Amino acid sequence: MKLIYSELKKFLPDLSVKPEQLRDDITMIGHFTNYFEEIDGEIVFDLDIKVNRGDCLGYYGLARDLSVLYNIPLVLPKIKELSSSNYQLPITVTTDKVKRIMALKISDLKNSPSPDWLQKFIKIHGTNSVNTLVDLTNYIMYLYGIPVHAFDTAKSTDNLVWEINSRFKQFITLDGTKFSLNKDILMVNNPQKALSLGFWGGEACAIENTTTDTIVEIAVYDRTTVRQNSRWLKATTEAGTRLEKDLDPDLIPKALGHLVKLILENCGGQVSSSLFDYYPHKINSLPIEFNPQNVSLTAGISIPTDFSIDVLTRLGCVIDHNLVTPPPLRQDISLEADLIEEVIRFWGYQKIPTTEVLSFKELPDITPKIMYLIDELKDKLVALGYDEVLSWPLVNQALDLKTVVTTQNSINSEFIYLRQSLIQSLKIQLDQYQRFKLPQPQFFEIGKIFSQKDGQYIEKIALGIYNYDSKKLPQDIESLSLPLVKGGPRGIDNFIEIILDDLPKPDKYIPLISSSQAVELTSQIITLDANLTLNTQENPLSLIKKYSALIDEKILWSMQITDVYHDENLNKYRYTFQVSYYNCDDKTAKKIHLSTFNLDTSVTH
Amino acid sequence: MDLNKTLEDSKNKINSTETSAELESIRIELLGRTGLINKLFADIKTSPNPREYGQLLNQLKNQLESAINLRSKSVETHDRASLPKDKKLASPAVALAKVGHLHPITQTERQLNEVFRKLGFSIYDSPEIVSDEYNFARLNVPADHPARDMQDTIYIQEPEYLLRTQTSTIESYLLQAKNKDLPIRAAFPGAVYRNEKVNRSNHFVFHQYQAVVVDKGITMKDLIGTMDLMFKTLYGPEVVVRYRCKYYPEVEPGVGPDMQCFNCHGQGCPLCKYAGWIEMGGSGMIHPKVLAAAGIDPKIWSGFAFGMGLDRWTMAQNDIKDIRTLRGGNLAYKPNL
Repeated sequence: MKLIYSELKKFLPDLSVKPEQLRDDITMIGHFTNYFEEIDGEIVFDLDIKVNRGDCLGYYGLARDLSVLYNIPLVLPKIKELSSSNYQLPITVTTDKVKRIMALKISDLKNSPSPDWLQKFIKIHGTNSVNTLVDLTNYIMYLYGIPVHAFDTAKSTDNLVWEINSRFKQFITLDGTKFSLNKDILMVNNPQKALSLGFWGGEACAIENTTTDTIVEIAVYDRTTVRQNSRWLKATTEAGTRLEKDLDPDLIPKALGHLVKLILENCGGQVSSSLFDYYPHKINSLPIEFNPQNVSLTAGISIPTDFSIDVLTRLGCVIDHNLVTPPPLRQDISLEADLIEEVIRFWGYQKIPTTEVLSFKELPDITPKIMYLIDELKDKLVALGYDEVLSWPLVNQALDLKTVVTTQNSINSEFIYLRQSLIQSLKIQLDQYQRFKLPQPQFFEIGKIFSQKDGQYIEKIALGIYNYDSKKLPQDIESLSLPLVKGGPRGIDNFIEIILDDLPKPDKYIPLISSSQAVELTSQIITLDANLTLNTQENPLSLIKKYSALIDEKILWSMQITDVYHDENLNKYRYTFQVSYYNCDDKTAKKIHLSTFNLDTSVTH
Repeated sequence: MDLNKTLEDSKNKINSTETSAELESIRIELLGRTGLINKLFADIKTSPNPREYGQLLNQLKNQLESAINLRSKSVETHDRASLPKDKKLASPAVALAKVGHLHPITQTERQLNEVFRKLGFSIYDSPEIVSDEYNFARLNVPADHPARDMQDTIYIQEPEYLLRTQTSTIESYLLQAKNKDLPIRAAFPGAVYRNEKVNRSNHFVFHQYQAVVVDKGITMKDLIGTMDLMFKTLYGPEVVVRYRCKYYPEVEPGVGPDMQCFNCHGQGCPLCKYAGWIEMGGSGMIHPKVLAAAGIDPKIWSGFAFGMGLDRWTMAQNDIKDIRTLRGGNLAYKPNL
């Protein structure tokens, strides 16, 4: 949510901290902000308001928090009692999903494009300016965090009906979006027309520059209903985002009073109805048992009782001995733990030391033994020269359609199945390695495979291994001292899969800690041969070390000698090198290769 | 003595041998009559916990024997290659020893597991296909709560079964399974799933690490001190972390750790979106409703939980620019390093 510093100061005239300080302080008490910036001469913050703090989707709620933090007064605009006429609005409410509605009619107003200050405010908050009346409704929503709606009564009439719609099949929003109404949606209609969704105004009663008479209303609904409606219609609006949170119905009079004052100041006109106030069940916050000592016991540091009482009082809580009743605005507070958090966040999380680590405690080991087996196997496979990979658990083919587990909303339409064998995933891994021309791949993965039977989902832990050398694979499996289950019906030659769940497991295992560097392949590996003829016999490993030192390690992938030949007639030894390069193109690799082995001149050492 | 370090050093020595003679020399150095292992066994009497120390030493000895056996097969090949007997002197190939590698995510997990094992934590896991109850309801996120929007879920059978969206789900299982075996300390690395478009920065499957403690008298000071140790283990002793109020439905009070941006040192840059800080995960005191849902009395027991993502850290450590690489098939390792 955007927050303009100068607008915040209208609620907090004594606010004097610099924007940098405000950014850090407001973040520390729970409203994260990355940065502030200057827009149209205003300092503007961008806040991440968490879902439990619907009250802070408006300046008023944030100002309340900051008035406690800085211990400065919160000042509300002075609003005279709303004048009214004797005319009672013929509004009907036929649903129990409405917590409170307040509405008022204003007549003979002169609507027009918004004044500059209002246009700037609306623009900074990411909304298009429409006209003064519409912009003022949005202005009040941003100030108080409660959505506001205005109806052009020349189009809507005064006969508004709050209902769960069952009469209208289609609805068109203010921006022309069409919805088919095939579910139970909370709406404001009149006897003839669909006028508005609970969270989105309609084209049928839109305010225009020519509007002279309007009913303005502010309502709080059952948040679950709004959320369901919004999800059914796949529609998100600023109003919906707020109405699906717990909002305070007692805030409505303040917001409506402020709105009417601004309309009369900016558009003229007069109030032409009595105040409609539908509030069937007043919401009363329940008292919470609170022991101030529990604040210190939770924080682990001493926080004085006086401080706790002071913070809770300034937050608007009513304290009666050990019972604390939070203000209706703070519907996120319902437990003692919530009160404790309030106190600690204003005391300052930064005052809790960071150096006192939980001390060691000897407790029974509840590690599932299969995790020791997994660690042990990983270390053994690494010792045998295998690389560990992780692959996608989602695959694009079912091995057995009867038992496969299918996702309903996968990331794409192809990869919808959870793998039934690790070999499925490892084949994709091998394809990738072959695409990059990785020489002599040998790798493994230990991970979950999935199936279902009789309505039960089954997960097993499997070890999948691939070795380019099919003869070496069984030898390596033998080294693991595990039962050999080659491929199985789903396997192919160079892959092996073993289900680990039923194997014997070690009681304990200390895994090896290593820190080897992985490489992100971005281009093909280039493998080249070179024949080197020597007069004397050399140790091949020494030759590899000698020649690999001549090549920049950033481009040398591997080097090996694939053949050694003794020409008895000439008494010379020919060593065939195979060198793999990466991070370079074909041309560069060849150039380096020729230079390293001096191939142009066929050097004989 | 740090047996883990001993094991690592010894394995490195073993794997660096190139001939049978070299390997035998290392074997004697480690397992011989006056070798390292026997010297360590001599320390049993002075160990604070002789029984456990003895078990660990036996395990270490077995691992070293296993590593030597494995290595002996490789060096035999090398020995043959360096002893010409025929015109075709060396076949098959001769290369520097092929070294296998753990996936960098595993490496990070093990580093953290080690930290927590030393504090008395077990390592834990649970299913990946889970019910709504374990992924949401038991974590204080009822149906149609706006907090559900914090995670895009991949469903198996909406709304009942889904792929776990967070390692807190493992906490649900843990608390339920061990509610009569308190206190508990457990850490759990795990893969989690979200319905995210796969691109350079996002993936539908990624990795989190979580630690949970339930005991009497657990405080935020315990939480913050322990979390700080974890960050210092990963990022080094100089790392600066701040702890602030942050909402997560399963904890109260909630704590958000932010690390001072390593790129700009808090001055603000594109990497940290000009905040000077990078959000590192979530934590807090386990919500009383979460404890109660698991049958644990929150008036007697308290606890903390914290979790963090592993992918970004692992990518930074390995200079990986694209998150898809971690599970995408183009992650590889130089075979001799």
